[in-house]
Amino acid sequence: MRSGRRRDGLVLVALALYAAPFFWQALTSLRPDAELLPLTHLWPSRLTLVHYDAVLRQSMMPRALLNSFGIALLSTALAVGLGALAAYALARLPVPGRRVILLGMIAATAFPQIATVSPLYLLLRALGLRDTWLALVLADASFTLPLVIWLLAGFIREIPRALEEAGAVDGAGRLGVLRWVVLPLVAPGMASAGLLAFLFSWNEFLFAYSFTASEASRTVPVALALFPGVFEVPWGDIAAASLLASLPPIVIVVAFQRYLVRGLLAGALRE
Amino acid sequence: MIPGPGRSVVSLGRPTLLLLLALGLLSSGCGERPAAGAPVTLVFKHAKILGPSDPVPGLLRRFEAEHPGVRVVSEALTWSSDEQHQFYVINLEGGTPPFDVMMLDVIWVPEFARAGWILELTPFVPPAEIDAHFPSAIEPARENGRLWALPWFMNVGLLYYRSDLLARYGFAPPRTYDALVEQVRHIRARESDARLDGYLWQGKQYEGGMVNVLEALWANGARLLDDAGRPFPDRERARESLAFLRGLIESGISPAWVTAADEELTRRPFGDGRAIFLRSWPYALDLFELPDSRVRGKVGVTALPRLAHGPVGAASTGGAHLAVSAGSRHPALAVELVRFLTSEAAQRAMTEGAALRPSRPALYHDPALVARDPSLPALLGLTERGHPRPITPYYLMLSTTLQPEFSAVLVGRKSPERAIADASVQIDHLRRAIRP
Amino acid sequence: MTDRRLGWLLLAPALAVLGGLTVYPALWVIWLSLHYRIPVFSISRWAGLDHYAFLAVDPRFWSAAWVTAVFAVVSVALECALGLAIALGLRGQRRARRVALGLLLLAWALPSVVTAKMFEWLYHPAGGLVNFMLGGRLINWLGDPALALPALIGADVWRSSPFVALLCYARLLTIPGELYEAAHVDGAAGWQSFARITWPLVRPLLLVALLFRTLDALRAFDIMFVLTGGGPAGSTETLTVYAYRSLFQTLQVGFGSAIGVVVFALVMLVAVAYLRLIDAEERPA
Repeated sequence: MRSGRRRDGLVLVALALYAAPFFWQALTSLRPDAELLPLTHLWPSRLTLVHYDAVLRQSMMPRALLNSFGIALLSTALAVGLGALAAYALARLPVPGRRVILLGMIAATAFPQIATVSPLYLLLRALGLRDTWLALVLADASFTLPLVIWLLAGFIREIPRALEEAGAVDGAGRLGVLRWVVLPLVAPGMASAGLLAFLFSWNEFLFAYSFTASEASRTVPVALALFPGVFEVPWGDIAAASLLASLPPIVIVVAFQRYLVRGLLAGALRE
Repeated sequence: MIPGPGRSVVSLGRPTLLLLLALGLLSSGCGERPAAGAPVTLVFKHAKILGPSDPVPGLLRRFEAEHPGVRVVSEALTWSSDEQHQFYVINLEGGTPPFDVMMLDVIWVPEFARAGWILELTPFVPPAEIDAHFPSAIEPARENGRLWALPWFMNVGLLYYRSDLLARYGFAPPRTYDALVEQVRHIRARESDARLDGYLWQGKQYEGGMVNVLEALWANGARLLDDAGRPFPDRERARESLAFLRGLIESGISPAWVTAADEELTRRPFGDGRAIFLRSWPYALDLFELPDSRVRGKVGVTALPRLAHGPVGAASTGGAHLAVSAGSRHPALAVELVRFLTSEAAQRAMTEGAALRPSRPALYHDPALVARDPSLPALLGLTERGHPRPITPYYLMLSTTLQPEFSAVLVGRKSPERAIADASVQIDHLRRAIRP
Repeated sequence: MTDRRLGWLLLAPALAVLGGLTVYPALWVIWLSLHYRIPVFSISRWAGLDHYAFLAVDPRFWSAAWVTAVFAVVSVALECALGLAIALGLRGQRRARRVALGLLLLAWALPSVVTAKMFEWLYHPAGGLVNFMLGGRLINWLGDPALALPALIGADVWRSSPFVALLCYARLLTIPGELYEAAHVDGAAGWQSFARITWPLVRPLLLVALLFRTLDALRAFDIMFVLTGGGPAGSTETLTVYAYRSLFQTLQVGFGSAIGVVVFALVMLVAVAYLRLIDAEERPA
């Protein structure tokens, strides 16, 4: 057993080393400016919160965090809301051509964003949606919605038909079965799909960079990429901003790991 | 077995969804909107002014004092010229940009004019006022014969040199690049500092790098475009210029990192005394003459040297202009602000406080200014010898197409011939798109 | 209401949204690519296949295609190898599995911009940890055209291997321990049990991972755009970065769309090819 414990410990150390770039960035965010360039010692002589102060008080990040949060939540709601209904239809209802439609969903997740960014840009501009939350909510939905539908269709198919039939026998119509039998059972799957949708929306960069123009709708990745530096790059501030930008992903990985893993595996294993 | 209404798990029903969508729509309108009846606010977008002090706030307060009921809000741009351009394009493309007066790099003025983003200034500015500026500052601000922006401050490419080092070895400032290279070799062989760099310039892949390459082309009598807009009419001379620049790096006259260097990354080492020559804009001189500067009193400026076939002093002019956004809600007032900031009094304040040079030739002989900065009269001559980059609305498109090709030569990835050939192919494609 | 009609009703909103945001733009981008379109200057006229004809001889396009291919092939190969290795190392893990997976998945979950900034700092010549670990040498990772692409690939491998590792790990967990015990009893060496037991069972999943990762690598934009901007001198400029610069820097919407269409076609081709391959793999089983 002891060798097993030691081995487990070594693996943990190895993985901690794997995540070292992130911990280094965290350390950088606490390192005083004077000790950033050039790097002479691994450990700083003292830790400081001045970078976080600068980021939270003097930069666009707080507003960007709000934008990102709102957009990701709304986009996830849209994707899961519409996606659950569509997934049920594709998985259980005799919609003609549903195999083709489902295949189309899968293909849609493979669309390169660089191809759709120019027409979407023109479309959003024509609709007057430039620099608004709605623009990004819709743009993000273009790739999270097919993903959610694909995942949920698979999860719904895993529910034994007997349960649904029992519901039908009890007098509930199709919609009732959906609402009281299927949805509660697929709720963990919806959580997985929703978490993935939220994560993708939070991390999304290309659309956000192209469709936003000011802090009214700038999301966190864009704010980070456009972090202002007058002469020299403020590496400490950028590190602090990076840590703030990583908070939701960290929370998801730490607190919702089970759902995240389930979503990732479901997508890959269902081929 | 079947969960009843009271026990259903979170499932986003349609009403909730609609509510959330509505919230999203509402919040999409959240932007700054001025309250009705508030004082008139002008938004002035400009980059941070370098130098000992920032004269802009004082000037804006003076304008506000002269125009009661008007407030001018200053908004900062990012530092890099390319990013500023991107910002402007994204905002102006949308139609209702949230600013009134904008600081523009001179190379963008024809583009913004053609795109209909800025207000024509010809009806508002008397000819005498226009003539008070450098012709090489006014010409690039014209599109279709009309004036679209007023010059705010002026730039010209200069050769900085360590006067103490040159004097020590009896050298006069070099008039040819061959002489410059010789002086670098001579001085470095005899100076004890092994890490003394020779010639620093901006070779990074950005607009500043483009300027450096253009100056090398002009120094050899080569043009970028001919009168019909065709690229590289003097191919062999252009090739020589590019080969020369690459040669500076290969021979070690310039350190390899100049290919990633911009103005600030080259100014600092020179200001720390670690280089003999530097190509930069006039702003650096003020910073070198600060009390705590290590090279204070040891820096001279002169015209850029020439290569075999070109003239001495073939420097690029540049500088910032001020324009009024076509969507401004207070166009007349915005034009007033532009004329105020480009007036003689304002430019004098800017020259005194910041590391900037005026776009009005008359100020270069102003006794008060010359007393503070004796290099001004010489700078006048150097500025008059410089000329602007190609004046076309498509300059940025041209530049961003050419930058990667030139950069490839500087880092040694492509031969000058290949780069020129590849660049020509791409420019021809661009020209096909542009002309009807 | 019949089941069929209900099905359409439930499907309709999603289809409408996707139709407008995915199908319509996919068709529109092809239409755009057939025009000279520069909105800033109100240039809009038919170009036919001129953009594509130009791309065929455009040196920058072929350079970008080469960078994209090298990036995709090398990144994905390294990710699959590293991912499998990590999964094998994780397989026997008993304690603190959540912590272990958490540390691993962190790299995958971070926004690509955060990863790019992180590595930009790690690769910094004077302030970066990489050069510090190498004894203080001033290697200019992101400024040297010979080093920039490997550096970029390193960053991408770091953030993408966890996905492959997770997939393989999940698969490895389903392999019953008795198989290995039996092989051990039969005197099989470590690598033999890997080759005979592990590899055949993991291989199909690795193919799926290969598919996902290749498609992602071909479409990748964020990390190279923020880390190097495609430089120095185009040594890290992929097709996506070239397309983006044409669209939003030189504002050539028609031309940039053409490059986008090429990426689109490439991705679809690779997807179809891989799916055929996976199908063929599964059939004998």
